[in-house]
Amino acid sequence: MSNSEATREVLWNISYSWVMYLMLAASVLVAGIGVYKRVELWRRGLPAGRFDQPLERIRMLLKHALGQRRTVRESYAAVFHTFIYTGFIILTAATTVVMIHHDFGIEIMKGAFYLYFQSFIVDVFGLMVLLGVGIAAIRRLVIKPRKLVYTDEALLILGAIFLIALTGFLVEGWRIAATNDPWGAWSPFGYLIARGFDSIMSESAMRTAHLLTWWLHAVLVFGFIAWAPYTKMIHVLTGPLNIYTARLSPSGGSLKVMDFDKAAESGDPLGVKTLAGFTWKDLVDFDSCTECGRCTSVCPANTVGKSLSPRDIILDLRNLMHADPIKAFGNGQPEHPPLPIIGAVAATAPESLWECTTCGACMEACPVFIEQMPKIVDMRRFLVMEEADFPDTMGEALTSLESRGHPFRGTQSSRIDWTDGLNVRTMADTQDAEVLFWVGCGGALLERNQSVVRATAQLLEKAGVKFAILGREEKCTGDPARRIGNEFLFEMMAKENVETLNGYKVKKIVTSCPHCFNTFANEYPQFGGKYEVFHHSEFLAALVSEGRLKPVAEIDKKITFHDPCYLGRHNGVFDAPRQLVQISTKTAPVEMKQSRENGFCCGGGGGMSFVDEPKDKRVNQERARQVLETDAEILAVGCPFCMTMMEDGINAKRGDRELKVMDVSELLWQSVSNQKS
Amino acid sequence: MNIIVCLKQILDPEIPVRDFRVDSDKKEATRGSANMVTNIFCENALETALQLREKTGGKITALIFGSVESAEDSLRKALAMKADQAMMVINDGHPHPDPLAVAQVLAAAIRKTGEFDLVMVGRESGDWGVGQTGGLIAEELGIPCVSFVDQIESGADGLIVKRQTDTGWEKAGARLPLVVTVTNNEFNVPRIPKTRDIMMSSRQPITKLTLDEIGVNAGEVRAGGSYYQVVDLSIPVKDVNCEFVSGDTLDEKVGNLAKRIMDIAQAL
Amino acid sequence: MSNVVVCLFSASGYDRAAQGVAGAGRRLADSLGAKMHIVAIGPSNPDFNSQAAAVADSVIVADQAELSEYQPEICLEALKQLCRPLEPRAVILSNDTWSQELAPRLAHRLGGSAAGDCLDLTVVDGSIRIKRSVYGGKAVATIELKRSPAVAWVRSRAFDPAALAASTGEIKHASAEIKPDDRTRIVERKSETSGEARLEDAKLIISGGRGLGGPEPFKDLQEVAAMLGGQVGASRAACDSGWCPPSWQIGQTGKKVAPGLYLAVAIQGASQHIAGMSDSKVVAAVNIDPDAPIFKHCKFGIVEDYKKVIPLLKEKLAAMK
Repeated sequence: MSNSEATREVLWNISYSWVMYLMLAASVLVAGIGVYKRVELWRRGLPAGRFDQPLERIRMLLKHALGQRRTVRESYAAVFHTFIYTGFIILTAATTVVMIHHDFGIEIMKGAFYLYFQSFIVDVFGLMVLLGVGIAAIRRLVIKPRKLVYTDEALLILGAIFLIALTGFLVEGWRIAATNDPWGAWSPFGYLIARGFDSIMSESAMRTAHLLTWWLHAVLVFGFIAWAPYTKMIHVLTGPLNIYTARLSPSGGSLKVMDFDKAAESGDPLGVKTLAGFTWKDLVDFDSCTECGRCTSVCPANTVGKSLSPRDIILDLRNLMHADPIKAFGNGQPEHPPLPIIGAVAATAPESLWECTTCGACMEACPVFIEQMPKIVDMRRFLVMEEADFPDTMGEALTSLESRGHPFRGTQSSRIDWTDGLNVRTMADTQDAEVLFWVGCGGALLERNQSVVRATAQLLEKAGVKFAILGREEKCTGDPARRIGNEFLFEMMAKENVETLNGYKVKKIVTSCPHCFNTFANEYPQFGGKYEVFHHSEFLAALVSEGRLKPVAEIDKKITFHDPCYLGRHNGVFDAPRQLVQISTKTAPVEMKQSRENGFCCGGGGGMSFVDEPKDKRVNQERARQVLETDAEILAVGCPFCMTMMEDGINAKRGDRELKVMDVSELLWQSVSNQKS
Repeated sequence: MNIIVCLKQILDPEIPVRDFRVDSDKKEATRGSANMVTNIFCENALETALQLREKTGGKITALIFGSVESAEDSLRKALAMKADQAMMVINDGHPHPDPLAVAQVLAAAIRKTGEFDLVMVGRESGDWGVGQTGGLIAEELGIPCVSFVDQIESGADGLIVKRQTDTGWEKAGARLPLVVTVTNNEFNVPRIPKTRDIMMSSRQPITKLTLDEIGVNAGEVRAGGSYYQVVDLSIPVKDVNCEFVSGDTLDEKVGNLAKRIMDIAQAL
Repeated sequence: MSNVVVCLFSASGYDRAAQGVAGAGRRLADSLGAKMHIVAIGPSNPDFNSQAAAVADSVIVADQAELSEYQPEICLEALKQLCRPLEPRAVILSNDTWSQELAPRLAHRLGGSAAGDCLDLTVVDGSIRIKRSVYGGKAVATIELKRSPAVAWVRSRAFDPAALAASTGEIKHASAEIKPDDRTRIVERKSETSGEARLEDAKLIISGGRGLGGPEPFKDLQEVAAMLGGQVGASRAACDSGWCPPSWQIGQTGKKVAPGLYLAVAIQGASQHIAGMSDSKVVAAVNIDPDAPIFKHCKFGIVEDYKKVIPLLKEKLAAMK
């Protein structure tokens, strides 16, 4: 027989095959109900856009759902998930081929296609599924990483997939052996099984075994289809949906704008008090979680032993949503209001919510693009704006922002102290400024950073940039207020600043503070403030490449660079600050284990620099430990908050070792001005 | 119980030293870019009042004598902190009237509110730090006064007030009506209002009265200097340069520190 | 001949504070060409009376039973009655709680003007002017008291004691007609200072701040203070955290002190705090942060963790004794 005739009999040895169709219908129905129930819950969420730019969204889908780009970042999971995931796709394709061939009567399951794909490839991928399940089981049962959630459901899923694949192979093996399939060897693993059975079983025994196992396989498959939407396996559907509806803008712009007039009229809580305060997209986030635990394992607060766990926030709220939807969302009657979620589950206890640095590592790590951090801020908004409940020292920062326009209570510096001896003009007394140098409170008022902004101003001056500052007219952008959760205060400050900036017809802004940078880049446009904004590292790197600044001296020190979350991860600026290190030292910085997208927070974001962390649980000290793992002599930073946090952390951890913290602009100024440090 | 809390709005006392300027002609600090804020002790007084109301019930009226442009902010904040009502006497005269003028205005306004039981003021303000308003209001109203109070409870025959003294504290039983001046302690740190309440406070009415409406000698108040007059206001020149004690080791440094301290201590 | 009256509470003795107030009164009287009388409220104390008489033209001892302990309404009424017959040009009080409480009300009852926390008293063209620090210590104001008497409570340690006069003033007993007044009644008193003397009178103060992190380190500060004959104070942050009693608080919202040496330990130096100690003769600090604003006010300091400095300092000071 020639290979072109190759095929196999579908439903060989099977009678009453209509029962199978009945089972299929039943399982699809049950699964459908499961999916429908979830969709019904999502529909209780508030509106969220997320269907614009379809082409970009399809690209996301191809890259991250089909392409699994984030899933494979973790090598262990990359192996088993790829095995199971691709196996699922190939086996589903194979089943579809059978359906087209048998049920639609389009005979495609034959010849070379049958041999190469339907037999060989499917067999290999089936084996990969078995292997994948095995590898996953070893992790779950033997390695037991801390980040996983150990549920029976997860084991049952692995067991079910294993049994489905195993029964599939057994059915194949018995069929090959009993029919003496001439093309059996094209399915190597099935063929191996067939040869094994061949020697120990009679043909009729194999037929009976085949029949029974075939039905068992069918029951398992249809049972799994019916059950899957009720488990975390729903991620097969919600994962791609969540990726398709992911936020397309930089994560620095992930916080929602609020409508205070509406809230004042309706009396709806400010911030998120109940699940009903989330958008449908937030609710889909809950149902997309695969419990992989990556968010929690990269969370700086969790890493140093604090209670915050983004994974548990997502999972606990998911469980709350499904346990009793009527209780969770209310029934529309005033006597049955929705259940308040803060503190309703362990993960949302206020103490935990107040540990978030808003660094965004959780969101960056999530393979299905769940947005954990904005939900934390949503709940903080409720605590701050409806309950006035926040750590005391954060309250002091807020009060200072409100009455003094900066968060540093008790500072003895003024906005322009740092300009002493420099010829820095203000917008008010200059006409021809092309660039506004936005100094930032951290630059002007924290003494350590004054030399950073001095260096930047001197570099701008030297390069002949026509720039000016706002001086005493500068106010905090509102970033700390927003991250702490006082959106009302943020909005007021944003509007006030936009008015000042637009009053001076500002077009270009250079700032030393990544938090200000992020606010200008991602948040002010919503309040009518549209500017071209640069972090000082970007602007200075460009001046060097244009030849307007010439490095003279070479700093002969090993340097590592700490990515500010709001410059790097939240806005994708990784290279410019490294270029400045390279320019100043003629060598690229040594990299820490966690850098760029995976950079580890200094601990100062999200208003956390205003909070005294417990002595043994300090994020900055953990980061300092990571810095000390390198052989760097200087830690370069690009953010006034990182500067103070990292100086504190390093001083606590460095012992006798010499390790200075310097901003990249200080490095460049040293090199350009030929000053010895 | 009807509680009147008198507020004063002052130039932000946390204005950095280097930004602080005085106008020696007008005899007052130049505002510059600094904000006007409610005096901290007034907020301690309001907080104490709010806590008292939680225990005894009653009504809190926030009262301010200030400029029509900015003083409203302090009242709005008081309403956001949950004072029941707000009243303002518009100051269209001297920006810093003398303490007697202030006390006369406040006393007249307090009478105007109708029945009052407890008048609460801050012990002093963070700008001029005069520390007389409470006592003078008591004299104007002809009622007793207890100063430096930091805790108030209801007692058998009125109130039990606890006040700080130089060496500790004193507790006094007091019948109403009464004036107290309030100082700070760990329990009366002013609450930060809820944003919801801030939003709502802008919709509440504020009673505004002019000097001519409350029955004081408006001319004298506007002139504001019959009690005392500031004849000079200046910024003292200080020349301090910190010398860090030297030494190669911690032991040596602390040794030098100890020596310097001992030298001074023995000369005292 | 006009009169200057100095009102003192005999219960606290003729201490440094009383001497400063009397000195201020004496010099004011001299520049006015007036007589100076000391009214001593409270139980009669012969030591007090004779020391006071050495600087005053007369000492009026108001030791009637009703005044044996301080009650605001009664003391106020008594002071008014005792001052009025003298038709004083000025009444000078100390800056203790009681005096501060009574001074403005006394001025009101006598038809005069009051001013407090005075650092200096002068007479210009017959008018009495006081100098005081304002705006949290950032500025100094000179204020002319328009009505008579001028009632001033003074920062007692800012004034030197008066030179002892050759002749002693007359000591006489006087009493006021006091009707019972129980509208307010002080029923309980408790002392909880860090030592025996008032913070305002301390010649040396060691203060602790937020950087101490808890109440325990204050014990160490107390030990050091005891070795130097000083007192312990605290910043508002430390008091607000409940690490020490509020009566220890130094700053704009607490005590205003002017010791010979002020040692700030783990205090950042917010303007709020500076306002209470900026009149100190010498300021020194222990702080781990070289950029702490407190150093801007210091004559000398050490940049080290207080945890390392204080035990060592204790050792060194003990060795010097």
